Amino acid sequence: MKNKKLLFVTQFEELWFDALQSLMDLRKAGFNHAVFLHVIQRDKVAMHRGKGYLKDEEIKLREIANVRFIDWAESLFEQGMEVGAYIVVGNPLPKIISTASEEDVDLIVTGSHKQGKFEELYGGSDTLDVLQRTSKPVLIYKYVLPSGAVNERPFERPLLAVDWSNASERAADHLLEYKNILKSVVVIHVASEKEFKGTSAMDVQSIRKENKMKMEKICESFERQGIQAESHLYIGDTGEQIEKAAREREATMIVAGTTGVSSLKERLLGGVATRLVKYTALPILLVPAGTVK
Amino acid sequence: MAKKVLTVDDDPDISAFVKTVLEENGYNAVIAKNGETGLSMARKEKPELVILDVLMPKQSGIKMYRELKSDVALKNIPVIILSGIAKRTFLRSQEALTEFGDLPVPEPELYIEKPVEPDELAEAVKSLIGG
Repeated sequence: MKNKKLLFVTQFEELWFDALQSLMDLRKAGFNHAVFLHVIQRDKVAMHRGKGYLKDEEIKLREIANVRFIDWAESLFEQGMEVGAYIVVGNPLPKIISTASEEDVDLIVTGSHKQGKFEELYGGSDTLDVLQRTSKPVLIYKYVLPSGAVNERPFERPLLAVDWSNASERAADHLLEYKNILKSVVVIHVASEKEFKGTSAMDVQSIRKENKMKMEKICESFERQGIQAESHLYIGDTGEQIEKAAREREATMIVAGTTGVSSLKERLLGGVATRLVKYTALPILLVPAGTVK
Repeated sequence: MAKKVLTVDDDPDISAFVKTVLEENGYNAVIAKNGETGLSMARKEKPELVILDVLMPKQSGIKMYRELKSDVALKNIPVIILSGIAKRTFLRSQEALTEFGDLPVPEPELYIEKPVEPDELAEAVKSLIGG
């Protein structure tokens, strides 16, 4: 099995060591190398009127991050993992992209990084910007369940949302790479109500049958690997129905492909990814268009 | 001719510190910033001693040490581990890798937890490769 690398991005706000530890199941899927990244945001140390560049503040922040990373690394090293760390000053987005590329990681793990009030107006999250600029799959890791407990087996029962695009086909292929840690998979397709407008009962059943058949084909690809799979057709608003299905089917994670739609458009239109990142309590694995297998 | 010492550390301040200590004590210092380049420099430069950090990008000191000690041409080069990572962790990680099927490797010649004083470092180097 190929040794895989994950990039664990933490601002020490959302993702802590217990989040990392809860992902250790990924070792069974070949992830034996964790790279930590902490970005000290430039405005925390940048030039301030009358003070200049806050070098002492940068050193302090670097050392705090270093102490945390050493502690985390010790735990992973002792489990036989390979570990690397970056503590850098700059803007998070380009640093995430450049580190992911430099280390040639197979998965980026990040928090949902909610921003300030202005960005909230646009339903924003810079996590979505990462997706626009990388071909790597991104796991937006929400690891604390609404009950307060840690989601210890996020890959146990993922919900795969498909829309018959190339991106969702890639998402299905990508999910199969985790076959050693998947127990069951819920495949859903959300049809729009518009699709059923003005059609006869026969037409409606035909649409249902066609979608079910396509979903069953995906299910078969998982079942061939010994993973239980089930398919469900939902009707309505995509984001709302994905959330609903995840809840009803007791999914541990949501997986979807993402197309290259611009971040601004996605935000202004309140797209599916935005909605999921913002509202669902589950981890979300987004597989961008162009992801290299 | 001055004896050559390879220092592998991603922190430029530490590398500069070690280089200064080595040069002030008559050694020839060469620098690498991670395990990957460290290993290729060890092959190319054939140093008499390696001073190795553990937590680094690209390839950790744990992996580089293992590769160094598994390479017939390099395994006799003494190694000082100079790291913030505890010695116990280093040894346990090597044990864990052995349990996963890699060949066992010997303990490093010396292990110094950061920070290190210049005199302590100079003495450590001298004890392994002489003045």
